[in-house]
Amino acid sequence: MTTLFYILAYLAIAGFFCLVFLKVKSYLQASPLHVRWEIYPVPHEGEKASYGGSFMEEKEWWTKPRHVDYFGDVKALLAEVLFLQSTFEHNLKLWFRSYPFHFGMYMLMGGTIIVLLSAIAQTFGASPDDGGMIFVGNIINAVVLVSSLCIIGGGIALIHHRRTNEGLKRYTTPEMYFNIGIFVVFGFFGLFAWIVAPSYFVTARGFLYNLITFNFAPQPDTWFALHLLVGYFLLIWIPLTQMAHFFMKYFTYHDIRWGDEPTTYSEKNKRIIPNALKYAVTWASNHITGGAGSKTWLEVATSNPAAPKTPREWNP
Amino acid sequence: MKDNLQLADVSIVEGQMVSIDLARIPDLSIDVAKKPWKPVTDEHRENTCCILDEVCVLNIPRPKNRVEEEELVNKFLDGMRKLFTTENNWVFLPLLETSMEYCVQCNSCSNACHLYEMSGEHEMYRPNFRSEIFRRIYKQYVKKESLAKWRYGDMGLNWKTVTRLGELAYRCNLCRRCAQTCPIGVDNGLLAREIRKIFSQEMNIHPRELHEKGTMNQMKVGSTTGMTPDVAKENVEFIDEDYSEISGVGIHTPFDVHGSDILLLHNAGEVMAWPENIAAFSLIFQEAGLSWTLSSKAMAYDGVNYGVFYDDTQTARIALQHMLAAKELGVGKIVIGECGHAHKALTVIADRLIPFEFQVPRESCYVTLRDIVMSGRLKLDPARNDFPVTLHDPCNIVRLMGIVEPQREIVRKIAPKFREMPCKGVDNYCCGGGSGFAIMTRNNIEEWRGNITGRKKMWQIAEAFKDCLGQETRKYICAPCSNCKGQIREILEHNDLYAKNNFSYGGLVELIVNAMSNASPGFIKWEGEE
Ligand code: SF4
Ligand code: SF4
Repeated sequence: MTTLFYILAYLAIAGFFCLVFLKVKSYLQASPLHVRWEIYPVPHEGEKASYGGSFMEEKEWWTKPRHVDYFGDVKALLAEVLFLQSTFEHNLKLWFRSYPFHFGMYMLMGGTIIVLLSAIAQTFGASPDDGGMIFVGNIINAVVLVSSLCIIGGGIALIHHRRTNEGLKRYTTPEMYFNIGIFVVFGFFGLFAWIVAPSYFVTARGFLYNLITFNFAPQPDTWFALHLLVGYFLLIWIPLTQMAHFFMKYFTYHDIRWGDEPTTYSEKNKRIIPNALKYAVTWASNHITGGAGSKTWLEVATSNPAAPKTPREWNP
Repeated sequence: MKDNLQLADVSIVEGQMVSIDLARIPDLSIDVAKKPWKPVTDEHRENTCCILDEVCVLNIPRPKNRVEEEELVNKFLDGMRKLFTTENNWVFLPLLETSMEYCVQCNSCSNACHLYEMSGEHEMYRPNFRSEIFRRIYKQYVKKESLAKWRYGDMGLNWKTVTRLGELAYRCNLCRRCAQTCPIGVDNGLLAREIRKIFSQEMNIHPRELHEKGTMNQMKVGSTTGMTPDVAKENVEFIDEDYSEISGVGIHTPFDVHGSDILLLHNAGEVMAWPENIAAFSLIFQEAGLSWTLSSKAMAYDGVNYGVFYDDTQTARIALQHMLAAKELGVGKIVIGECGHAHKALTVIADRLIPFEFQVPRESCYVTLRDIVMSGRLKLDPARNDFPVTLHDPCNIVRLMGIVEPQREIVRKIAPKFREMPCKGVDNYCCGGGSGFAIMTRNNIEEWRGNITGRKKMWQIAEAFKDCLGQETRKYICAPCSNCKGQIREILEHNDLYAKNNFSYGGLVELIVNAMSNASPGFIKWEGEE
């Protein structure tokens, strides 16, 4: 049973990364190149970004070197991820509920990384009882308490909001309630584990230490074990649902909303376009294939469905 | 008719699904009437699927029997399957898939949409309403995901669902203001357009103004206006003559000058409806000493590309012809005239559709004009523009291309009483005619544009001029986009706002010519002036 508990942990972690990989791969493989579909403001436009301007405001922009302010992108993405800026600006009521929920998760994720680093330090001989470790432990214990409360409070508030707001209610599916609910359960188990354990940090570090040293020692704390089991489930479940937005947002922002690179500056795109035009189109409408087989995009684009038809030669 | 509209109602409700109550539509501080919906005739109802609301854009023939009903549904599903293949939709697939998968149903996009607001927050106008129906059909009937009903919600699929969804795709201006606010990066405007594509590319169903009279006409005779190359040239010659007289400066618009620096690509609608715009461009380019030309090649004297509103194949065909005409003339660049969708189609969309060796660099006329005005090549007297001016931001050029400041630099320099609208620049609202509606007037579409789609723009205009509304002060609405002008003209005309509020409207070039010292004064006209 104990070994199974650890095996599940390895499977959940591996499963999470595999599913994320598959999601990203499927996004990247959907098309060799998609159209530009940017929306301004685009934050990598430097000074122009402050009012939503673009390189296309410049006279003969194609004769100038391309400037991309990557720092602007990073700043905007961080503001969005860490502060939920769009929701703050456009849906404040929701933000008051959603932000604690997300902030709780960020803290828990950050805390997990620190605990993992502590466990790794321990494998390299750091004493579990030295002053630094105790200091980190105190911080983690505080973080876990706050983050559990944020997840529980934010999650319940979100469910309540979705139940009572007429607009939201119509769009909220059973799965969405389930998704938020399972996080609330996760938060509660974490909170109980925090309450019953002398130090949540020590329990968590012990578990991670065992995990990285393949020491399948029994897990003494039931609440912590339940907390972890729900965590394993979430690792697999998140990438399978719309919650995968937490990593796919990189693409929807960076590649789509801000994806303004003109072909002028991309040798790669110059090569891709002629190849993509070889794809076979099977759209059936009269002005495309008329339902008869397929044509390449090139054939479609170079044909004129409205051109007067050449009269057939009379052939008695 | 349902008030408490649920998503699944599209498949259930018999007859007209919703009715937009005029009493719930917000009033404005200027007199923009709420026009009663014309009753849908029994004949129209019997013959077409006019079962969504009072408006009917697609006029889908009503299936006569079970077989036809099923055929309609199956064709739609065939189209949906194709939409999700790389071969048929490589240009949009990653964008489509992310918008299908990651919406968290937060409704943050609702308040961004002027249709939602101006319909009195009607449920049907939430940007996510049609998207969610589309998603549920996809998951349940195309992907056939296990537990789809539980995970995403149940959605019945029958001829009513399909035809209503088709109409719903045309209850959107494709302005993408909703997409700008989405925290996830989901794009409901894109999904509306993708649905339009299924109808057009697979089912032969399109609004006739966009297809038969639009792209097909452009490919048949050379222009959506119906002008053949000879007629277009002749008309421009007449314009040159007329406006030489009006402006007091001899105007000559060059055609087909090989090796010019610039091919100017007008929306041919200007030739027919706003000849002063064509003349003003010619006058400015001529006086600035540019090397430029128009093309008389079929399709290349008309910069419009209605394909961007509903069909990728038509988009590609027209964009290619524009590029080839420029290549043939050997010009250095294409300058796109005052037409928003032509800007986006040729500059942004075509950029990854047309092989690079066939591309000619494209520049917005706002940029070219800014260069002319700021370089001092024209003698300008801003005192001639001594009336309040406000500036409309066409979505396609501003939010979707980031061209915000050039036009403002010009207006600030030549119009001393310039004032911004609220929600300016990339936060602007669509004029209400966006995505093809500006040229549609049948089946309550006209009423709809006045009652709902164009209302927010009129609110913006009223706010910009709130200190001088009324007849005393002449005011100019600068709307440098052909379709936007069409929409604004209609609202001003139908509500008698030229007289009541002393409005005039037009483009950027007219405002520049109005300030040119060497041209006769009074290029811009107000009500009652010849
Ligand atoms: S499209 Fe975006 S803003 Fe609208 S409901 Fe979905 S996630 Fe929210
Ligand atoms: S694209 Fe514009 S009109 Fe369409 S749903 Fe979004 S905000 Fe509304």
